[in-house]
Amino acid sequence: MTKSGRRRRRRDLALAGITGTAAAITAAAVFLIAAFLVVSALPAIRFNGADFFRSLTWNSGNQYGSGTLVRHGVTGLPGASFGILVFVFGTLASSILAMLIATPVAILVAIALVYRVPRRAQLVTNALVELMAGVPSVVYGLWGVIVLVPFIGNVIGPFVTERLGFIPVLGGSAGSGNGLFASGLLLAIMILPIMAATMRDLLDTVERDTIEASIALGATFWQTVTSVAIPAVRVGFIGAALLALGRAFGETMAVLMVSGSALNQLPQNLFAPINTMAASIVSQLDSALTDASGLSVASLAEIALVLFAMTLAVNVVARLIVRANGGSRITQ
Amino acid sequence: MNHRTFFAGALSIVALSIAAPAFAADVKLLETGSSLVYPLMNIWVKAYAPKAPSVQITTESTGSGAGISQAIAGVAQIGASDAYVSDAQMAKSPMMNIPLAISAQQINYNIPEIGTAHLELSGQVLAGIYDGSITMWNDEKIKSLNKDVAAKLPAKTIIPIRRSDGSGDTFIFSQYLSDTTPSWKNGPGFGTSISWPAVQNEVGANGNPGMIAACKGAPYSIAYIGISFIDQTNAAGLGYAKLQNKDGVFVLPTEQTIKAAAKALTDKTPTDERISLIDAPGKNAYPIINYEYAIVNPKQSNAETATALRNFLTWTISKRDGNQARFLDQVHFIALPESIAAKSDEQIDKIR
Repeated sequence: MTKSGRRRRRRDLALAGITGTAAAITAAAVFLIAAFLVVSALPAIRFNGADFFRSLTWNSGNQYGSGTLVRHGVTGLPGASFGILVFVFGTLASSILAMLIATPVAILVAIALVYRVPRRAQLVTNALVELMAGVPSVVYGLWGVIVLVPFIGNVIGPFVTERLGFIPVLGGSAGSGNGLFASGLLLAIMILPIMAATMRDLLDTVERDTIEASIALGATFWQTVTSVAIPAVRVGFIGAALLALGRAFGETMAVLMVSGSALNQLPQNLFAPINTMAASIVSQLDSALTDASGLSVASLAEIALVLFAMTLAVNVVARLIVRANGGSRITQ
Repeated sequence: MNHRTFFAGALSIVALSIAAPAFAADVKLLETGSSLVYPLMNIWVKAYAPKAPSVQITTESTGSGAGISQAIAGVAQIGASDAYVSDAQMAKSPMMNIPLAISAQQINYNIPEIGTAHLELSGQVLAGIYDGSITMWNDEKIKSLNKDVAAKLPAKTIIPIRRSDGSGDTFIFSQYLSDTTPSWKNGPGFGTSISWPAVQNEVGANGNPGMIAACKGAPYSIAYIGISFIDQTNAAGLGYAKLQNKDGVFVLPTEQTIKAAAKALTDKTPTDERISLIDAPGKNAYPIINYEYAIVNPKQSNAETATALRNFLTWTISKRDGNQARFLDQVHFIALPESIAAKSDEQIDKIR
């Protein structure tokens, strides 16, 4: 081997070492977060048992009262009961609602971006979609508080509950505008760009020749899209929707601002307040810090652990599906 | 200017800029906690800075719970809190609870038919609204307290708004409900965040600004909001209530009624100053007021920090300095009564 060849080889080895270390740090970070959550949550896992998933009542206990409550060998404040059913339901309901609203829109946006926008304009439209994905969630939240919530509370809510009230989940009180519908709609707007961008990339992988062949055979544009293009990437589309669902699960700030932060009750209809796992961690943390038993913080860590597992599972499944079906570039 | 003077000048600027921060920041104090105290702290720190150039005070708005826990952890020298530290936590980590000023809370509502007229409300009625036993604005229990406007009270569902985050406002509001209503005391009780009864339509809002936005945005809602925000609640067109005090009189939150309530409880304030000022006796006393506390560890990490902390806190509660009207009026706080300031001083002197 020549001298320069040896040097190059040494350099390659060094680079492999550096990149390998970086990759290992990333993997270790995920592992460490999980380990940290498990350790922090351990007292709560013991104290709460299965009630954690079964109970509607979230009560960190009476901090200013006297006495303690011992359950499964762990000491908490009197009256303490940590049930996250309300938060789990709110997370699932708002995220699924968001997906139901965003998916059809995202499919149409992706089709338009790939087949209807002229090549030259695509640079601009693609940049716009990516820009939308980059807007901080608190900006969406602020818009939600100032514009969306009053509009739902004063216009959409009363209209729907009065006109369509015969449909079970649409009847009843129109409320204040804060709640499941506002959260779902806001989340839909927030996950739309990610979904649309991923679907656009998937559609881009469909060979132009195939599209042109279909049109040459006499199919209309819509027939081509629905019978040729979309079936080719259908599984990838499901992955894209799941990827967005993973993001909706974890979205915190915007939801916190418009959810109405329900406690101890499930929503009675589409417009009733909800609470999510991510938002409840933020809203309950400050008081939890003054819980002398430490159980409130441990229970919040337990919520984080469950949320972590849920998001990880959805993300892994989504990425596997998208990758297996040729999604090249995945936003976020 | 020749090269040499230019060089010397440049050098001295460099030397100064290196020396100055080290010189100006001999002692660093961190204040963190209550978002209600935060604006006042900023006003105070700005006014105090020229008096102690070697002390650098940083302020943060993080929430009372964070203030207490970070003061206990030793991260912050001053933990600002609207609530005093609980017995359970005092047993674990004894802290000083030093009142700096007095605040109060208004009960706001958005009822187009009533506007900014003052409804008269009692603790029992508020407890009824927040536990779900009173659901309509034209409920007999509300009507009977407001005979003058009874006909105007609409047949609309009440939307109770509460804080979703941990809050000193929740602490004093739930304390008022507990003190006036036995079923509330034995039920949800009081705390910086409590397990609210399940009331349909009830909305949780984040922070006082969130409370104002939610109340303004939802007609027929009711909310509890810190008195510091009265300019904003007035601008939002929200009404605020006369509250029934211990003597059965309905009073508005004004400087006089807040002072009257504070005065009534000064003698009862213990030496550790951990006391609820809720539902004070006296015809003219407003029922929801509280001390704004500095939560301080009596043992600081070193003597310099302790001295700087003592000096600053002493300054904040002095009538001639921090507790004068020109500072407190900006946030609608009330100065400490003299005997309370003396008790606070006694505590401050023990910081080592």
